[in-house]
Amino acid sequence: MKRELGVIIPAIADRYGVRGGRLVVAVAGVVLLTLPLWATAYVVNMFTTIGLYSVLALGLVLLTGLAGQVSLCQAMFYGVGAYTSALLAVRLGIPPALALVSGAAAAGLVAAPLGRAILRLRGIIVAGVTLTVNLGFFYLVKSAAELTGGATGLYLIPRLDSPGGMSYSSFIFFVVWGLVILCLVLTSNLVKSRIGRALKSMNVLAGGSEDTAQVLGIDVMHFKVGVYIVAAVFAGAAGAVYAHRMTVIEPHTFGAQTSVLIAIMAIVGGVTNPWGAILGATLIVGITEVFREVAPVVLGGATGAYELVAYGVVLVLTLLFLPEGLFSLPTRLRKRHED
Amino acid sequence: MEIATVLQSLISGLTLGCIYAALGLGLFVVYGVTRVLNLAQGEFVMLGGMLTVSFVSLGVPLAPAIVLAVCTTMLSGIFLYRFIIYPARNASASTLAFLTVGFAFAIEGITLLVWGWEYRSLTNFLGSSSIHLWGATIFGQAPWVVGMTVLMVVGLFFFFGHTMIGKALRACADEPLGARSVGINIEKMALLSFVLASGLGAVAGATITPLTMTAYNIGIPLTIKGLLAAFVGGIHRPVGVILGGLLVGFAEALSAGLVPTGYHDVMALGLLLAVFLARPRGLLPAHGVAE
Amino acid sequence: MRTESPVEVDSAARRKCDRLTGQSEALLEYRGLSITFGELEAIKNVSFSVEGGEIVCIIGPNGAGKTTLLRMTSGLLKPTSGQIWFGGSRVDRLPAWQRARLGIVQLFQDIQLFSNMTVLDNVMTGAHVWTRAGFAASALNLSSAVAEEKRIREAALDELTTVGLAGRARQFPSALSWGEQKLVGLARALLARPSLLLLDEPYSGLVQDDIFRLTGLLRGLQKRGVTMLMVEHLTDVVMDVAEKVVVLHYGEKLAEGSPDSIRADERVIATYLGE
Repeated sequence: MKRELGVIIPAIADRYGVRGGRLVVAVAGVVLLTLPLWATAYVVNMFTTIGLYSVLALGLVLLTGLAGQVSLCQAMFYGVGAYTSALLAVRLGIPPALALVSGAAAAGLVAAPLGRAILRLRGIIVAGVTLTVNLGFFYLVKSAAELTGGATGLYLIPRLDSPGGMSYSSFIFFVVWGLVILCLVLTSNLVKSRIGRALKSMNVLAGGSEDTAQVLGIDVMHFKVGVYIVAAVFAGAAGAVYAHRMTVIEPHTFGAQTSVLIAIMAIVGGVTNPWGAILGATLIVGITEVFREVAPVVLGGATGAYELVAYGVVLVLTLLFLPEGLFSLPTRLRKRHED
Repeated sequence: MEIATVLQSLISGLTLGCIYAALGLGLFVVYGVTRVLNLAQGEFVMLGGMLTVSFVSLGVPLAPAIVLAVCTTMLSGIFLYRFIIYPARNASASTLAFLTVGFAFAIEGITLLVWGWEYRSLTNFLGSSSIHLWGATIFGQAPWVVGMTVLMVVGLFFFFGHTMIGKALRACADEPLGARSVGINIEKMALLSFVLASGLGAVAGATITPLTMTAYNIGIPLTIKGLLAAFVGGIHRPVGVILGGLLVGFAEALSAGLVPTGYHDVMALGLLLAVFLARPRGLLPAHGVAE
Repeated sequence: MRTESPVEVDSAARRKCDRLTGQSEALLEYRGLSITFGELEAIKNVSFSVEGGEIVCIIGPNGAGKTTLLRMTSGLLKPTSGQIWFGGSRVDRLPAWQRARLGIVQLFQDIQLFSNMTVLDNVMTGAHVWTRAGFAASALNLSSAVAEEKRIREAALDELTTVGLAGRARQFPSALSWGEQKLVGLARALLARPSLLLLDEPYSGLVQDDIFRLTGLLRGLQKRGVTMLMVEHLTDVVMDVAEKVVVLHYGEKLAEGSPDSIRADERVIATYLGE
């Protein structure tokens, strides 16, 4: 069976090539975007979650895949967007749609000085510092309890104004996937542009060189901070939508562990390709659902345990055997077929 | 501000500082030899504590229980190196760091499966629950923690400075090609560094459990604090790491004891980050050639 | 055989005058430049200038500080003391990317093509200096950004054609020979529209054919008005191409002059050439 698959898939890929790839995407797109019409609420919710994580992971595609900065604080900006939007709506009565945009903007505003301070550093230490900053944010939110509701969470966040005729969860589904499509477009445009070239040129992880970029007139700091801000705005927007989707948020969602999970999604899917973000989010959320619902029933044991093991195993397997992520699988199979 | 409060904070600071210094040393051992940032170091500490608790509950006396726990943890360290790090030994620093992250997640999950959610504890090593000194209360386990760290530091200084193996380990870090040409087996040294780090972590874990309790999820915050200790102080020298650990410990304890509002952990973290960003090479940078 | 012409004597006087007034008429001028690494004084009090349109070669034994001097000029290293003047203003405090915008571009000894992009993309990266599309314009694919991309692409293909490698545009650097990579690196640097090109051992590793090709290209560049400051070892090339030669030894300027006068200089022979 494995051998047949190993022959069939590359053969299909060969025969239909790029057009085949586009066809698959188109079909998947149609299936996905009509989900609320035919799938259960459970499935719709799951794919909404996948969409949110896709946006978060897309930020890392830009920041890590393109620019080579290993940043582990996407969950913090997720939280900045969520809390800003929620607080504006709850405490100041600002209409949710406006609060949402403000949430995204707030994330960008926080990212600017933070990026300036942190991205002066080079190498893996950036990962450690961003992780620590994320932890600090987590403590901050828990401490500022009168404002944020602390560890118990912030409640009664108003919903977005949805059109009549569809359920709120369907509406949120479309909002989230609209955001995903927007971020996908922005990301691919950036990758192919002058900005993308500048970022690639200074990506030390992938064969670039900061010195060479500098002598060609590229202000490395400016671009590093710029892409950091973009990733933060993506995360902030997702966070704001999340807040109005769940109507209750709590600090644990935006902690260091979530940042690491987002990184895992990006890596497993393929951190250099925007579609990798969606693939990775789908796989990890899928694994989470399977292990959360199924495993404890079938195998016993605490909930939450199997996913942790699964995340770890999937990450290690990916890095050891498919370092460019799932997205590179068809290409890899095709090459193996050709050899 | 009473003397007692200040004294209490200082003592807590020292104790915490020793815990973080021990963590930082574990990170240093692996990083120093292999340049891998072992983000699973906190898990070794957690395992040391958990396993000791389990062996004790099975009726094993304390000292052998600790030994067993340490050995078991070292087995996991060997697993990490042999099956996860070694196959990827030529990969980038970030890939290697993420591999340790994957390992850490898996360990957390397995621990949760085997031991569940609850916090576990051990009785103090000598039984007495607290000592009173000038109005301040010292938890009975605190001197053990400090003592363990001191022993660790002295032991490592001796090991790295005066034994053949220790010197070989240092040679690997400073000059891998040169080390290989002199006949030092780099892979064996790397394995040894992981074994050493996991062992040290387990010892630390067993020692701190009577003080801080242990649970499946204490690994990540410990690793982060250990990272802070190592980088604020300067990961290139053990003295730097120890200094960093003490700094982190004191920052945490003093702000908890002396800052009235609930923001002490944020402030401590903020202070430490500010210190680090001001001197990214560490407070005590490496001798000679800059990294 | 070139002897000192009246024009050169005059420019020496002019330089003295410039030092008094604080100005600089030469395109590039080093004044008392020094840099110290820890305990090592890599460059000690080096002063000389490069006129517009000249090709100047820096020679000297290994470790003399030649590459260090270039890196200080392009901005990757900051001098400990002394000044660098370019086009009439001081530049030694500016970061490297700003100096590139002024027209100083360095080509490294190991070229450092970006291995994660195609040859064409590599060359297009050089255009950064004179292009402007920012994050917003690029992300939204505004027409200004699209038009600019088209111009960059055309300019890049032009330069690739000049060095004779237009056919390799879609390939990755790893598929090219060392000589070809050097030419791509040159094309990339040229896209940055330099007025001063800093070349670190551009001839190293090249076979005879490529050497001829490169010399021809450099002469063509000179006609385009590009000034070149080159570090080089190959004596034949230096004598052939350079109009002025500067000899560095242990970080100090040992001698300066036309290739022939350097060849005849006893101090230089003693320390370097005559072995």
